[in-house]
Amino acid sequence: MLLTGLLYGAALLILLLVFAKMRSFRVRQAVLLVASYALYLTWGVWFGAVLLVSTVMNFLVGRWLKRQPTAAVLWAGLAFNLALLAVFKYIPGIAVSIPVATLQKFSHLALPLGISFWTFQAMSYLLDLYRGEELDPSFVEFALYMAFFPVTISGPICRMPEMLPQFRSEKSVSRHDIGRGLCRVATGVLMMQLAQLLGKGILGGEGINGGFDHLTRWSGLDVWCLTFGYGLQLFFDFAGYSHVAIGAAQMLGFTVPENFARPFASTTPSIFWTRWHMSLSFWIRDYVFLPLAVLRREVWWRNLALIISMVIFALWHKGSILFILWGSYQGILLVLHRQWQALQHRLKWEPPAAIWTPISWLATITLISAGWILFRANSLPQATQMLAAVASPASYADHALPRSLYLLVASLAIAYAAVLFVINSLNRYAERLRTRSEILEVMVRERWVWVAPMWAAASLLVVIMMERQSGAANVFMYRFF
Amino acid sequence: MTEQAQQMIEHVIYVIRKPGIEIDETTPLVSSGLVDSMALVDLLLKLEELTKMRIPPGKVQPKDMDTVTLMFATAQRVGRPRK
Repeated sequence: MLLTGLLYGAALLILLLVFAKMRSFRVRQAVLLVASYALYLTWGVWFGAVLLVSTVMNFLVGRWLKRQPTAAVLWAGLAFNLALLAVFKYIPGIAVSIPVATLQKFSHLALPLGISFWTFQAMSYLLDLYRGEELDPSFVEFALYMAFFPVTISGPICRMPEMLPQFRSEKSVSRHDIGRGLCRVATGVLMMQLAQLLGKGILGGEGINGGFDHLTRWSGLDVWCLTFGYGLQLFFDFAGYSHVAIGAAQMLGFTVPENFARPFASTTPSIFWTRWHMSLSFWIRDYVFLPLAVLRREVWWRNLALIISMVIFALWHKGSILFILWGSYQGILLVLHRQWQALQHRLKWEPPAAIWTPISWLATITLISAGWILFRANSLPQATQMLAAVASPASYADHALPRSLYLLVASLAIAYAAVLFVINSLNRYAERLRTRSEILEVMVRERWVWVAPMWAAASLLVVIMMERQSGAANVFMYRFF
Repeated sequence: MTEQAQQMIEHVIYVIRKPGIEIDETTPLVSSGLVDSMALVDLLLKLEELTKMRIPPGKVQPKDMDTVTLMFATAQRVGRPRK
């Protein structure tokens, strides 16, 4: 992992130099494409071959679709992409659980890294062409769109209309972009280290991973600690990775979509799903929910479309019963929230925000957290057992998890809230103090100069803390989706 | 402002359910977070009703519905007369 990190860092430095010296977008595209493929091939030559085949096929279907923008051509392209996902992502999983001879051939197929991300990018390209979007990428540009190294492995999922003008830009890389990008990379690295710390635990005790994988009995308190801690771990891990990806792209002058926007501050499930894994949730909204929901005019259909969309959102992660249940649960939550809003509107009931907002926030975080049980549990019986513990008041009297894990989860949640508060204050100061204090203004404006090293030092501290732990840690959890 | 645009603005205000909100033809609705996914479906169906056109699924994205002006332009671009 360290070697891969160094490789990516070296590639970024070389690209920065090339971008600083070369203005021609064609040269930049070629260098970026070579670097992107070189980095992707370090994960496996076979993976590169699959990506290339997908790129060629989607480019050709795109050309076909431009000449003949019919639903049949679109469906042919979508079918190819879905088949690719099925072969590498879903059938191997099914083959493990269903002992059918023909399926067994697929059971050992390795999942090409980032296939779910770049396949969804390819499908959005075809859907945009069908919609009539004016897109005319060359093969190099399309190949770059599919393999652009900051986002290939785990997103954010980009869209061609936003990326194409950037691939054709000849603007010089700015000091501001490099600084801000570096700051985001450092923030992301720290968040990913914290995710590992949550996974491993501290003071010789179990972490979140051990709590899910090694324990066989849980109290209600344990389940809440694990499920809330897992939400935090997943957030630190994936939002951290997204910071790294967005920061690396920004250093080269590219703007890629944001993936998280303070999801734990959401006061309703609807708001949460516009702030968590945004590039995927907006993809599902634009290309699945909206076309599906307008097929019929009835309200029940719209609600069903929402549930179906959330199930597809869940299946994007993994094809399993647990994920289908998780998606259905989140869909039902969204529908119930909608019904609740409609009821409030009918009754003309407007509770005071000062009381209602904290209640709504607590309910949202609790319900979303409960869902992580289905997302993370290793099996359906385990999820059932954990949910039974939550529902059993008698189980709350004791706990099996070490106190150190409760302490870790609580400390990180509080520390994260405190950091958000400080960042908000800094941003407010940045707006207000322009003429008052030059030093403070420079410190606020150029905060990446001190924030980035501070986060780097904090990351190092976390690494040292983890050295003392023996438990296993998940290294970037979204790599497996 | 056309009568259709005025009716659409009234419908947007009804759908948003925020007391005292003021909307005109150029107010960003989706990008500003005023309109969520479910409300977007409402607006799309209302657009079909007002323009008497069928808007094929898959031909519209939220960004095409960001303002009332854009909604009618989208209906003109992709809408088909109802049978």
